[in-house]
Parts: sequence; structure tokens; C-alpha cells
Amino acid sequence: MTVKKHDYRKWTLLRKVVQGVALVGFLALFAAAPLKVWSPQVVNLPMRLDPLAMLAQAIASREFLAGSALALIVVALTFVFGRAWCGWLCPLGTVLDLFPLKKASRSTAKILPGLGPQGSWRRWKYLLLLLILSMALFGNLTLLIFDPLAILERSLTSSIWPALDRMVTTAESALVRVPFLEELVMQFDALVRPALLPERPIFTHNAALFAGFFAGVIALNLVAQRFWCRYLCPLGGLLGFLSKLALFRRQVSEDCKGCKLCFTACPTGTIDPEKGYASDPAECTLCLDCLEACPRSDITVNLKPVLEPWRPAYDPSRRQALLSLAAAATSVAIFRSDWLHLQPSPYQIRPPGAMEDELTSRCIRCGECLRACPTGVLQPSIAEAGMEGLWTPILITRLGYCDFACNACGQVCPTQAIPALPLEEKRLQVMGKAYIDENRCIAWADHTDCIVCEEMCPLPEKAIQLEEQQISLLNGTQRTIKLPQVLRERCIGCGICEYKCPVVGEAAIRVRVTLQ
Amino acid sequence: MRKLSRRDFLRTLAAGAGAVALSPVLVGCQADETPLTSKPTQSVAQVQPVEPTAAEALSEPTQTSPAASVAETDPPPAQVAAPAEPAQPGTGIPDLAVARGGEPEDLVRRALSALGGMERFVTKDAKVIIKPNICTDYHTYEYAATTNPWVVGALVKLALEAGAKTVQVMDSGFGGSPKSGYDRSGIKEQVEIAGGEMVVMPSFKFVRTLIPEGLDINEWDIYEDFLQADLVIDVPIAKDHGSTRLTLAMKNLMGVVLDRGGLHANLGQRIADLTSVIKPGLTVIDAVRILTANGPTGGNLDDVRKLDTVIASADIVAADSYATRLFDLKPDDIRYIVAGAAMGLGRKDLENLIISEV
Repeated sequence: MTVKKHDYRKWTLLRKVVQGVALVGFLALFAAAPLKVWSPQVVNLPMRLDPLAMLAQAIASREFLAGSALALIVVALTFVFGRAWCGWLCPLGTVLDLFPLKKASRSTAKILPGLGPQGSWRRWKYLLLLLILSMALFGNLTLLIFDPLAILERSLTSSIWPALDRMVTTAESALVRVPFLEELVMQFDALVRPALLPERPIFTHNAALFAGFFAGVIALNLVAQRFWCRYLCPLGGLLGFLSKLALFRRQVSEDCKGCKLCFTACPTGTIDPEKGYASDPAECTLCLDCLEACPRSDITVNLKPVLEPWRPAYDPSRRQALLSLAAAATSVAIFRSDWLHLQPSPYQIRPPGAMEDELTSRCIRCGECLRACPTGVLQPSIAEAGMEGLWTPILITRLGYCDFACNACGQVCPTQAIPALPLEEKRLQVMGKAYIDENRCIAWADHTDCIVCEEMCPLPEKAIQLEEQQISLLNGTQRTIKLPQVLRERCIGCGICEYKCPVVGEAAIRVRVTLQ
Repeated sequence: MRKLSRRDFLRTLAAGAGAVALSPVLVGCQADETPLTSKPTQSVAQVQPVEPTAAEALSEPTQTSPAASVAETDPPPAQVAAPAEPAQPGTGIPDLAVARGGEPEDLVRRALSALGGMERFVTKDAKVIIKPNICTDYHTYEYAATTNPWVVGALVKLALEAGAKTVQVMDSGFGGSPKSGYDRSGIKEQVEIAGGEMVVMPSFKFVRTLIPEGLDINEWDIYEDFLQADLVIDVPIAKDHGSTRLTLAMKNLMGVVLDRGGLHANLGQRIADLTSVIKPGLTVIDAVRILTANGPTGGNLDDVRKLDTVIASADIVAADSYATRLFDLKPDDIRYIVAGAAMGLGRKDLENLIISEV
């Protein structure tokens, strides 16, 4: 028969175009988040498309949000095309495709049989999925840190973008000193910075950790192409479950001569030479690379609707389901037996309007709020909020401050973990209270007027007041000093006083959570 | 050893550059532009013999005895070097013009024509920078925390009419992003209608600058363009301020430095030191509305008084001195005015100035 490979090449090309468009779209929404050019409901669209995050969130908070219905699109897509989301749309999957560190080969499967087409490692993603959903039953969403969209969004926000800003700004600072380049640099900056980079440098807490996590996910490609998607991704697991009912499937003709080219080409390594080069629909991302690779494409590989269910590669038995439920109950119990972390930590300063228990059972750890925050005060928690609050947003008021004129975090939050408050209402939300450290304060300790905190306080009736006091110095002279004092009942804990405090290192005025 | 291909070399280089770029982010708190303020010049200031006495003298101007010593060292008014062409008694050009009553743009035009017209300040094809006060993005102009947009717009128009090549308007406030401040204050709209340009000041353009006349600080990071412009017009709004009592034109210059917080120790003298190097050629104080309490941020309309007044002068100290009257204060109540006059940056002896009220 004649070979019409170019037809399939068109299809794989189309797939790559779709992947590229989806990734660029994701990045565009990411970049646009702080600009407020698009509505927050457009900016957080990728997160609301994520059925895993939306399902877990609905289970944990016992509330179905209308906005999450968008995830049904991906569910419907999976019922028709299987894990096509993973092969065609998922931006993390596309990023992983950009790092083809190792193509599937027989050698990996030989060394580690668990990695093979029917390998036991593929179960991990189902276990992770069951754990996430079981823990969600107990109101816990900690393991959503493994959601692929959340990983990408958070890595970009907390490490890659600040590093990019640093690189560009450093280059600009150097080039702007070259006389004939000055105009060019200014034009470049005026063009690029408003659209992509922050106007003021934004600092991140534990950037290395997030960069490392992301690098780790990519580095797994060294072991096997799309290692993450094959063995670990819980969203891939969920879509894999659903794809058992998918209409379109990869099929191998009985005329197949067994050249193994499709086996080598398959990025998810699901084509099994021992089973007549068939593939598991729960693993196949419909990327069509095998169609392109097959030298006899017209007869060996095709797609058509098949309704009888595929032999399941992994069927979580009742025993395993019960096991993961028990594991979930135990882990949540362990988290909650950490008495100290159950106490409200003074560092656990939450975004405006967020209620602690609602936040942990709604927050899908996506990092949209961190990205939307114009000052960088919102940071992902590592230890501050305990295991149950891992990677939920907290305010680190030495790194930034809650802008009195901004309510972006609540607007952009896809799950209302941070409520979407109108600006007037947001201004009334108490996040914490400011405390003056009289041993470090320039006025209190050094008897020198400073008053930056009072000046900065954004409240129409300032929560920091200056009281003039006569101080007797050791040399016998008298001096009148303006001593700052916090009127706690007015303070909302926005943290601009701490952020701007001119004392080097730890500020002399600090925002902490207080119990009233 | 394997020969390194160009591609491999570039990859390694890119990875290295990425790591270097990432490292300051990781270390965060030690980086240059960190929010945690360092005080590079404090040690310099401390070894200066002049500084402690000046600080002592300025620490409490209402206490008569230390303040008196400063008054004695005041240079005689005749030696004052005004930044622009000084007023001459014979020509009828006043030292200071005050316009009262009317629309903001009209007030500016009247005050400027009383001073001899914008042509006195703007040379042909000059690069003009206007520095309003856009301290935060919290409120609209009615709250009197930011300069009146029509006052700024009128100055842009006058500068362009007088033959300026470019008129740029910029400020670097402390609350919210500059862009949103430009928008909310309403200044961006009026500047663009008038034909001027709003510029966001990128952090990399603040350069370490010597302050030769400085008594307390000898260098600071200052936005380059202010040092190179043909004319800087300082357009503050007159308002209440915690430590200095009032924020006026000299205080408004704090928006052109990177390390704002570091100026706050001995603020009065440091503002005067900063003024000595920026030297605005024209000062126009917007008192269309003034903020009488809870400044500089404001937010309460009860603290706002509408005066429909604009003060203009080539002498920044004189303009600030006159503005203290709006708050029932005296020039000697404001430390930076006392310090500025002592350094010969301008005059605070209102009784000896030629003031034209229009």
C-alpha cells in the first residue's frame, strides 16, 4: 500500500499548534493577571477548567461553585477523546514536551520494569488521586500542590517571573549607562515592563524551593519522557479513569509487522510490544506521534469510535480505595494532632476577608492571588500555616504590603477562598494588627524622630499616632520626641508600616495576627 | 575532553546566567532594591562635625534657644541665590505670586503671568519635567492627597506654549503602583489632554549623585532625569504631614529618590540637602484644596478645605514659607524651611519679599 505520511504529519503539526496556542494563552493570562485589562474571571479561567481542583474543592468545602462548571468541558472532552487534554492542551504537559530529555526506550523498561507500559509505577497517580479526593472528604486540600496547573502557575509566580524581572532589570541598569543606548533602553522598558514585568521589584520567599520543585518535575524527563504525566499526575489519573469510556481510541491493525517504531515514538510509553502494540486508553494522550512514526500508517494505526470498554490497566479495587481512605484519615488526623499549628499562628496573616477554616478547604494552591498581588506581600506559606495550610497564601509584610486601593486577590481567586469584596468593604477587613518594637524603633530606642510608619498609614483616620514626649537624655539634656503609637482598634494590618520601616533588617513595627 | 559545541556553550552560559539572576531573588533580603532600607550615607553623616549641631538645632524649632543659633547663622537675604533669574525691584516682577479664586487652570495662568510669564522659565526647545505629588493610588483628587490634575495640566500647556520641546510629568509615590496612582489621581488624563507625557520612573534610572552643598547627606540615589532637565517644575499640593507638619514643595522632592525611608532620620536637613542638588526652577504650590489632618495619605473629606489658591515662585523656600500661612503656621515652624533658608536655597523672610496677589 502507499504511504500517506504527510497526512498524519499535518495532524501532529495541528496538535503542536494547539499545544502552543494553549501554552501561550496560559502565559498570556498569567502575564495579564496584575494588569487588570481582562476580567478576573477570564484570568482564572485555566484553573476553573481543571476538573481535579474543582472536584476536590467541591468535596472539601461541601459547596459547588457555579464557576467550576467550566471543568465539565474538560470532562466532556475526555469522554470523547480520552486524555487528549494531556496531549493537546495541558500547559505543563507542553512544557514537558519542550524538554525531550529522553525518548521512551526499551532500556528504561528493562532496568525498571515498573516504568513499562503495564508497569506498576503508573498506579502512583491513581493513588495520589484517591488520596487527594479522600483527604478532601475530610476538608483537606494539601495534596493539590501536585495539581499540574497549580504547579505551573505557582512556579512561574514564585520563582521564574521574579528571576526574569531580575535579569531584565539588571541588563537594563547596565545598558542604560551606555549613552547612545539610553533612549532605546527606556523605550524597551516602557514597552515591556507595563505588560510583563512589575513596576517595582517584587521579592519572593523561598523562591529556590518552588524553582527546585518545578525543575524536579522537568528533570524526571531524564528517566522517561513525560514521566510526570505517566506516573504521577493526579489530574492525568482522573482523566485516565474517565477515558475508559472514551469514544475515540487508538487501534492497531492486525497486519502490524511489529517494527517497534511506534513504541519508540510514544511519549507516554504506553504502547506495549507484548500486547500487539496496543495501548492503554487511560495512558494514551492521543498525541498521534505513533501515526506519524508508523511506516505503514494507512493500515496499522487508525482512530474510530469503539464503545466496548478497554481492559482496565488499573482498576482500584475496593481494598485499595479503602486503603487510601484510611491513609487520608490518618494523615489528616496527624496534621490535626499538631496542636501548635492548630493554634492561630501570629505569622498566619491571611488575605483580606479570608476566613481561616474556609480558606484551607477552598484554596486549590493555584497561586492566582500571588500573581495578581501588585506588591508581592502575598506569599505561599511553607511552615507558617502548618501542613494543612501548605502553599496557601499568607501576607509577609516585610516583603510587601496590602495596597489600600487594591482588592485583586479576592477578585481573581477561582474558588472564593478569598472572598471577592468590593474595594470599600475590603478596606475594612482586619488582617492583623501592628505592634511597635520599642527596643528597635528609631524614635523609642534612639530618641530620634522618624515617623515613617505614621506617614505611611493609609487609613483616613490614621491608626498610628505620634505623641510628643519630653525625654531626658543621659547627658542631662531634654529632647522632645514624636513617639509612634498604634491605635489597635483602628489598625487593619495592611503592613505598609512594617514594609516601609527604615530600620535595617527586621522592622521595628510588625504586623501579627491577634486574637480579640 | 570533549570539545564544547557552541550550542552547549550557550546552554551552559544561559543556565549560569539564570542561576546568577535567580540567586538575588533567592537571597531576597540582601538585594539592592530591597524594601529593607539600608542607610549608605549615615556613617558619612556621623563623622561630620557640623551635623550634630545642625540636628540638635533643628530638632525642635519651637524651642527658642537652639533654634536661635540657626537664625543667627542665616545668610543675609541679599546673598540668596535664586535658581531662576532673580526678581528685580525695578522690573516689577514679584518674588512670589498668589492667585486666589477661580478655576485651577485660571489660577495657574494668573500666578504665572504675575511672575512674568512662563517664558521667563522655559527656554526654546527645553526639556521640562513637572513633579506633582502623587503619593499613593488610594484616592481621587477631591481628597487632597494628590496634586490637582488641572493645575498640572495648565503647567503642561503653559510650558508647551512657551516653546518647551518635551514636557514629562512623573512621580514615584509610596502607596500602590505608580501607574494606578497616575490614573486614580486624574493627573494622567489632564496631562495627556494638555499634550504632556506621563513617565513611570524605572528603578534602574536612579543614580548615586553627589550633594556637594549637603550638610547631612553627601550623596543619594536620585532619578537621573531631574538632574539633566532644563527646567524642573515642582508642583506639590499643600497638606498636613506627621513629622514635618506640612508637606510642601521641598518635601515633595522626596519622590525623586530611591531610598525614601532613609531620609527620615534628620528629615528636615536632608530635605534641604536634597533640594540643593535638584533646584527646581519654578515652584507652584497647589492649594486649590488643602489637607489639614491625617496627611499625607488622607482619605477623609472632613479634613479637606477648598481654598482655590495657587502660589508660584522661582524661590522654593519662599513658596513653602508663604504656604505655611494657609495652615496658620509660620515658616520657622517647618524644619526644612529653616534648614533651606540657612543653606541659602531661598528666603523665608516673607515680610521683605515682593508678593503679588492676583
